[in-house]
Amino acid sequence: MSENRHFTTRRGFITGMGFGAVGLYGVWAAYGAAPLPFGNHHETLHQGHGDAAGTLGHAGADHDAGSAMTPEAFRREHAAFVDRFKRPDGSVEPVAGQAVSHDTGHHDMNAHDMGHHDVDAHDMGYHDMDAHGAGHHDMNAHGAEDGHDMSGHAMSHTAHGADADQPVDLYLLAFMWGYNPDILRLRTGVRYRLRMMADDITHGASFQLGAASRIIRLRPDSVSDQIITFTKPGTVLIYCTVYCGAGHDQMQGKIIVTASEQGGQP
Amino acid sequence: MKEDALLILLVFVVWAALALIYALVPSLGMPGYVRVWGAGAMLFLGLAGLLAVVRR
Amino acid sequence: MNAPLPSLSDRVSALPGCDKALVRVLFGASLLALALGVGFGWLTALGRAGVAVFEPQQAARLLTLHGVTVFFYWLYLAQTALLLVLAGAERNGGGLALRSLAWIGGALMLAGFAVSEIASITGTPLLYDGGPALGRDDPAAVGWFSLGYLLLGAGLAASSASAIATVITRRNGGAGGALSAVGFALFAWAGFLIVSAIAAVNAFLPSVLWALGRGAFPANQPTEWHILFHNLHYLPLMATVVVWYVLVQALTGVSSMHGARFSKIVFASYLLFVPPTSLYHMFLEPNLSETVRVVGSLLSLFVAVPTVMAFLIIVSSLEAHGRSRGASGRLGWVGALPWKNPVMAAIACAALNLGLGLTFAFVLIQEKLAPLFSDTFFVPGYFHFFAVGTVSLSFLAAMMVVLPALTGSAPWRPALLCRMPAVISLGLLIFGAAGIAAGYAGVPRRTFDISYGGGAPALWHTLMTAVGIGGTVFALGLTVLVLGVARSLLPGPKDSVVQQPVVSWGDTPLRSQVAAWTGPAGVVLVVVAMALFTIVAFDLMNALPLTVIGGGGHSH
Ligand SMILES: [Cu+2]
Repeated sequence: MSENRHFTTRRGFITGMGFGAVGLYGVWAAYGAAPLPFGNHHETLHQGHGDAAGTLGHAGADHDAGSAMTPEAFRREHAAFVDRFKRPDGSVEPVAGQAVSHDTGHHDMNAHDMGHHDVDAHDMGYHDMDAHGAGHHDMNAHGAEDGHDMSGHAMSHTAHGADADQPVDLYLLAFMWGYNPDILRLRTGVRYRLRMMADDITHGASFQLGAASRIIRLRPDSVSDQIITFTKPGTVLIYCTVYCGAGHDQMQGKIIVTASEQGGQP
Repeated sequence: MKEDALLILLVFVVWAALALIYALVPSLGMPGYVRVWGAGAMLFLGLAGLLAVVRR
Repeated sequence: MNAPLPSLSDRVSALPGCDKALVRVLFGASLLALALGVGFGWLTALGRAGVAVFEPQQAARLLTLHGVTVFFYWLYLAQTALLLVLAGAERNGGGLALRSLAWIGGALMLAGFAVSEIASITGTPLLYDGGPALGRDDPAAVGWFSLGYLLLGAGLAASSASAIATVITRRNGGAGGALSAVGFALFAWAGFLIVSAIAAVNAFLPSVLWALGRGAFPANQPTEWHILFHNLHYLPLMATVVVWYVLVQALTGVSSMHGARFSKIVFASYLLFVPPTSLYHMFLEPNLSETVRVVGSLLSLFVAVPTVMAFLIIVSSLEAHGRSRGASGRLGWVGALPWKNPVMAAIACAALNLGLGLTFAFVLIQEKLAPLFSDTFFVPGYFHFFAVGTVSLSFLAAMMVVLPALTGSAPWRPALLCRMPAVISLGLLIFGAAGIAAGYAGVPRRTFDISYGGGAPALWHTLMTAVGIGGTVFALGLTVLVLGVARSLLPGPKDSVVQQPVVSWGDTPLRSQVAAWTGPAGVVLVVVAMALFTIVAFDLMNALPLTVIGGGGHSH
């Protein structure tokens, strides 16, 4: 019966058309976002690679061994960070330049240590491992090519020299119902390593960036890392995008971004 | 009934394979997939068997 | 092929009285759930538009009630009722097999309905996913809420078992005893419903045990939930396609020109594609590995394959028959369809809304775009095209055929009902366009007061006002349609005189080399739209004044 059929009414044609949406892969590829399996070939565009898994303590991720920042470590670092950089008006402004110059030449010089002058040797050792672990993880996730803009590159290959490419560490704790710190003062052009965690239940920490937002979901006691750089000055609303109870609507913070003097690393 | 049973058997094969992958690679971190797709695979195996034996 | 059966209406009216009573109860309960759910949803939309102001706790309760009532009880009760009535009709006069199991299943589902509603009204609002973290201090609320879903799951499994038994013990079996295409589809659908029940147990039994003090706190519930959730929104699409298949036959006499076996392969492929495509719900989970995220995104490209194929089977068969009868011009065959029949209007609108829903679903499955949209109003913005515009309209269309046959009542005001699918689709278009734009702009999904003390963009309010207007329009249309359909549940004026218009194209021999371009053209249009909105999203993301490496994205 099918010899007389027009090709549009043949089963093979219908089957082929059924897979039409797979053609969207071409658009993904054009934006460097084609998900080739086993990920050795990621382009680094502005979008992230979703590798926060590697910095978590969860056994769920497949390449995070040894790189976990425990919730306890996060809380300790977070408290030190807020302590160190709190301004009289209550906002928190990490001053990367100071910390970096203070530590210049130190083997373990990285922004991680800046809030942290009173740590004991044990703690220091812990953080060394932490930094390495995170670096290795990032390498795995991104593939090692074109690592110029990558945290993994920065962390594991250049952390031993005094290098202006070091990201500055930020800590943001989400809780019912707010953020700590709730006002961050940051600079354009500076690479920050934003470490985030939810304290009690799941929250979001979404950044309203004008035309759109960047959404992140924070599970309790799971540390998420992102390397972020603001390219324009302005005020960014931080708001919770995961319903978290009666005060959810009021949960907000802000980042005040000002232009760096030289528009680059401090 | 034969084609019906074969199609449902195919469903069993795919589901069982997926459940197996998630069971054998625990680092994928989805134990729930093993339980649900695994139980579903068993269900479809049973249903395929049912189709194969029912005579009218 | 099987011997020709009497019409669907005739087979439904020939069901034994006790089976008719059961499915009438289930249809009635499902319509009650839909009416309640639309009411809760409408209030939610007013709250989101800022027209109505609710206490935070009450707002969350409304959202919980809306989700629980429509997403679980409307969709599952309607599916069960349709599955049973179509299975019974497939058996042609024999009625349901394992009838007592079907009744037990119905009773369990109704018990679940009551428990879930009461738990949602009285307990700490947990939203429809029943996340135990929100109810850590209120274990009773978590326990009762979860118990509702377990009862629903148990009922689904029992009813589906009856449907399976009914289909495979069908009388008048065709050559070689093979199932008909519809019979096979019902069989696969019923199996899938049982899997849903398994997924419900997997996700909610630990919560019940914890509430009883017999288990640890179910910290993994959000992950287990997404497995159920994936079933939950895949299943109704399969059901929709089965319903279209049945209804097109009832409306036009046309069954697939591609043979029963091909249809069976497509229905089976729903089941094949379910598990591999389920990962995209996890994209925002911080503890999902990169490999799983990437593979999940790739596999999600296949999520629509069975739906598109089933759509093409139906549309090409219709077009080929319509053209063989002499319909000319690009869309002449479309004009010749029985448009005065509200069932036709409903499934046509359902097909258009499916295209819109698919367009945006495919923007969301790109894992790198997930951080732009997940947990924003983009998600409700697009899924109402599926949930309301595609699935609910199709189920209501099926009820417009089945209920009059069950009760013998004439359809209520068909001329009025005929307009409702267009009204609903118009409302959805406003709701969806504004909601999706709000999602692109970052409006959070479950926040009622989005002012943030003046920190939010002014555009957010404008868009959410439009969401409220669109929501009001489709809620009104839906209410009229539900009332009209529900009217046929009651005994009323007999349908002996006014037969709803149908056409009979099925007997027309197919002309050789008759082409069917409409379906493929529609698919191409949808893929182009997907590409367009994906490009818009990438450009928008790349233009943001923030560069990010790391972090995930997820839809829930
Ligand atoms: Cu929150």
